Amino acid sequence: MAVLVREHTTVHRGQGPTITRQRRRAFLVLALPAVVLYTIFFVGPTVASFWVSLHAWDGVTEMRWRGLDNFTLLFEDEVFLAAFRNTLAILLAGGVLVFLLSFALLLGMRAMTGRRFARSVIFFPNIIAPIVLSVLWGFLFSTDGLVNAALGGMGLDAPNWLGDHLFLVIFLGLIWTNTGFYVTILMASTDRIPRYFYEAAELDGAGPLQQFKHITMPLTWDVVTISAVIWTISSLKVFDFIYAFGGTSNDLPPIHTWNTAVFIYGQTFGGRVPAYSFGYASASAVITLVSVVVFVLLLRRVMRRDPIQF
Amino acid sequence: MVVVNLAVLAWMLITSLREHREIFASPFAWPSFAWDNYAEAWRSADFGVAAANSLVLVATAAPAVVVVAAPAGYALGRSIGRAAASLTLYFALGIGVPVQVIVIPLFVLMERLSLVNNLFGLFLLYVTVSLPFTVFLLTGYFASLPAELEEAAAIDGASRLRTFWTIMLPLARSGLITALILNAIGLWNEAFLALVFVQSTDKQTLPLALLGFLAKQQYSGADYGVLFAGVTILVLPMLLLYVWLGRRIVEGMTLGTGK
Repeated sequence: MAVLVREHTTVHRGQGPTITRQRRRAFLVLALPAVVLYTIFFVGPTVASFWVSLHAWDGVTEMRWRGLDNFTLLFEDEVFLAAFRNTLAILLAGGVLVFLLSFALLLGMRAMTGRRFARSVIFFPNIIAPIVLSVLWGFLFSTDGLVNAALGGMGLDAPNWLGDHLFLVIFLGLIWTNTGFYVTILMASTDRIPRYFYEAAELDGAGPLQQFKHITMPLTWDVVTISAVIWTISSLKVFDFIYAFGGTSNDLPPIHTWNTAVFIYGQTFGGRVPAYSFGYASASAVITLVSVVVFVLLLRRVMRRDPIQF
Repeated sequence: MVVVNLAVLAWMLITSLREHREIFASPFAWPSFAWDNYAEAWRSADFGVAAANSLVLVATAAPAVVVVAAPAGYALGRSIGRAAASLTLYFALGIGVPVQVIVIPLFVLMERLSLVNNLFGLFLLYVTVSLPFTVFLLTGYFASLPAELEEAAAIDGASRLRTFWTIMLPLARSGLITALILNAIGLWNEAFLALVFVQSTDKQTLPLALLGFLAKQQYSGADYGVLFAGVTILVLPMLLLYVWLGRRIVEGMTLGTGK
């Protein structure tokens, strides 16, 4: 017995650290390729853009130190300010509309037959190239396109959408293409709420809106929060959809429709005569990144509530 | 909204089969089946070369992402400890970084490596920008697998690498396939990086070919029938994939938001 115990302890002492060491080595071997690639080609450039934003640089000649001048210049640049306003409009007003529309669709589709099919159709734009969506959307709103044909049919004036209201068209298009994603997420989480909650509420005389306010909202709050974070991030990434609207007229879309992503492209590689102002564009990249962080933190703060278990 | 989406889709397919004159003259009539539009798009807009490039890129980059991300996902999803937790966060933060933020230093880096206007360079970029999301997805997937099998393998004396290869990888097959499909879709549609890093026509991908075609139309006069044929070439593979694997795609893309 004593021998056995001693044997056991020695075995334990001998092997324990080797196993942990072995496990640690295995951990490293497995994770290393991804970590290396990600660090060199993703994290490195992210950090570098902060450094570049403090310089004047065309990518070829020597960098010249400018300190924070790029940033002060940006905030006096009408083009950038307009682009930043557009980005915020998409993020905030667009976000509110996307979520209102998603909830409306959710309520409308609750009792619908064939809702799975409906959901697949609404989700569909998410797997299509934004450029294609942009072409289709632009075509709908063209001077003799379907929207104007419909307006004309109702005896209304047909505005020159793509000429006079291009940003509005883009804005609505973004809402159209994105809503399906949020409907899908929210539908998955509302489907988890037991039916008898609603039955009980109905017996108590609660209407659909009251049920929505007192049952659906509180129980899906977590998912709503995460969806809002996803919207924040993805709305700042929008590029292709806006860019493609420049396709038939010029290399870049009209300046008043730019968001910060198009601004960065326009200041560097885009246009007929690329500007290659790497430092200046990096400053706006830094502002974009800071906005992501600020908005995500704010959202988490504002929307934090105690989770409800059910 | 359902009706609108279906209508737009049907309308796209029908328009792609029309003569140009017909589109505006009788927008709601049955098309004359101008299959020539497709041949025309294929020839005049270099869609042929672009389709081949896109196909090669997606067929190599999407599996490559999964090959790199799967071991990392396993290591992060199945280890407890501060290192694993902070590495998971390290990858997750990348999801919040828009590509346009990193594109400038990336361009300079790729230029020094002589990988600009080079399909291998684009391949490399596609793999890296897809990493954060894929690692995140697979970490979650591996973490959800039962621990018993892994413990049994450890008791039988299998090393961690061996456990990963022979036990966990086959178990995670469904998650890996989802990751593969999502990356294939994302990369097939990708335009921004291609726009910045590809300059010559013979290296462009399908979205670029479509953009180029749009730009060319202002000189040669617009032929919307041909334009829509081009659009359809880009969309149809995704549509077929969606009809075939719809549920898996939807669940994969919205994963990580539910509990």
